[in-house]
Amino acid sequence: MKYKDYYEILGLERSASQEDVKRSYRKLARKYHPDVSKHTDAEDRFKELGEAYEVLKDPEKRVAYDRMGNEWRNGQDFQPPPNWDEGFEFSGAGNGTGAQADFHDFFESMFGGAREAHPRRHAFRARGEDHHAKVLIDLEDAYRGAQRSISLQVPVIDAQGHVTLESRTLDVSIPKGIRAGQHLRLSDQGAAGATPGTAGDLYLEIGFREHPRFRVDGRDVSFELPVAPWEAVLGARITVPTPDGTVEMTVPPGSGSGRRLRLKGKGIPANPPGDLYVILNIVLPPADNDSAKAAYDAMRRAFNFDPRAHFYG
Amino acid sequence: MTIVKESTTTSYLQGQIVDDAVEFTLIELSRVSGASEEELTLWVSEGVFEPKGAGPQEWRFSGTSLRRVRTAQRLARDLQINPPGVALALDLLDEIDALRARVKRPHGG
Repeated sequence: MKYKDYYEILGLERSASQEDVKRSYRKLARKYHPDVSKHTDAEDRFKELGEAYEVLKDPEKRVAYDRMGNEWRNGQDFQPPPNWDEGFEFSGAGNGTGAQADFHDFFESMFGGAREAHPRRHAFRARGEDHHAKVLIDLEDAYRGAQRSISLQVPVIDAQGHVTLESRTLDVSIPKGIRAGQHLRLSDQGAAGATPGTAGDLYLEIGFREHPRFRVDGRDVSFELPVAPWEAVLGARITVPTPDGTVEMTVPPGSGSGRRLRLKGKGIPANPPGDLYVILNIVLPPADNDSAKAAYDAMRRAFNFDPRAHFYG
Repeated sequence: MTIVKESTTTSYLQGQIVDDAVEFTLIELSRVSGASEEELTLWVSEGVFEPKGAGPQEWRFSGTSLRRVRTAQRLARDLQINPPGVALALDLLDEIDALRARVKRPHGG
């Protein structure tokens, strides 16, 4: 087990007041909230902050935590001193919100038992709760539809109030035309109900994995197509990739770099389907031999061309 | 729906895309999103969501609003933001998303 320095996580001195703890938590929580932050580790940071705050905001837990001493370093291997919590009576019932249910094992070992094990808050309700999960799929799956095995981590609170993660695998059909940000509802795959046939639903929030070539904006997709200067200027027919096979497209003569060409209906096949945008990127051939240099020189002589004609106003 | 595993065939769960063909009542949206009916009503009064129908009893929320409702619920719960603050945060997040999409788009956009 690794020691967790909750003061360091919240950027605080050990002498910080309860008011400091709250202020620092609020500030960092806004910064690392996964809905707001684009830090790659925002989700982990936010969980860590929640864990640290859970302990330090509670004067009882804070005193117990401080009692372990301040020589420990973050991440150091740690064994709690025997009877470290002797004589402490926790008031129990941490707030145990869903988002913070999967705390680090350090927290679980030290404070997990203080959480109330409430088997089901809505036991009186016949219908099971709806569950949510985020899943990432490939853009290609949205174009063609796909069958995927999806593995989900489900936090489960046992009778002692400890949280463990159980793994669950679902075989799911990804419907053609689904977009990032949409939810896929799987009937009866949520929490079990009081009687058979009354389970809640499972909602999968869909996201796309980063694609090396394609960018997605709603139902529209775009990518950059390298073209030679003569293809852009004289026009060309080019075979281009789409997330679902290739298509032949026409580059009109006189196209400049950065021109956006629309392939109507070749975006995500939703209803109505999106469009696929091809952005031309003119690539200059290198002048790395004499004949190539001669060709550029012939161009220079052939054009009376001043690229900065309008540059100085 | 159940997962049936036979010798080589797997049956795949058929889901439904929650798009604008799906509608939620206030009670349904509360159950699905985890936000309380009171919170949802306050957010509607801030203009965060615009359900069809005259009053809370007749309100019908588009399935596409589920994502925003979930975000609103997390922001309100985790950062203790009040309804006007949630409304502002959601608008700003939409704007940031639009700007990010423009930046990420290959240049020329």
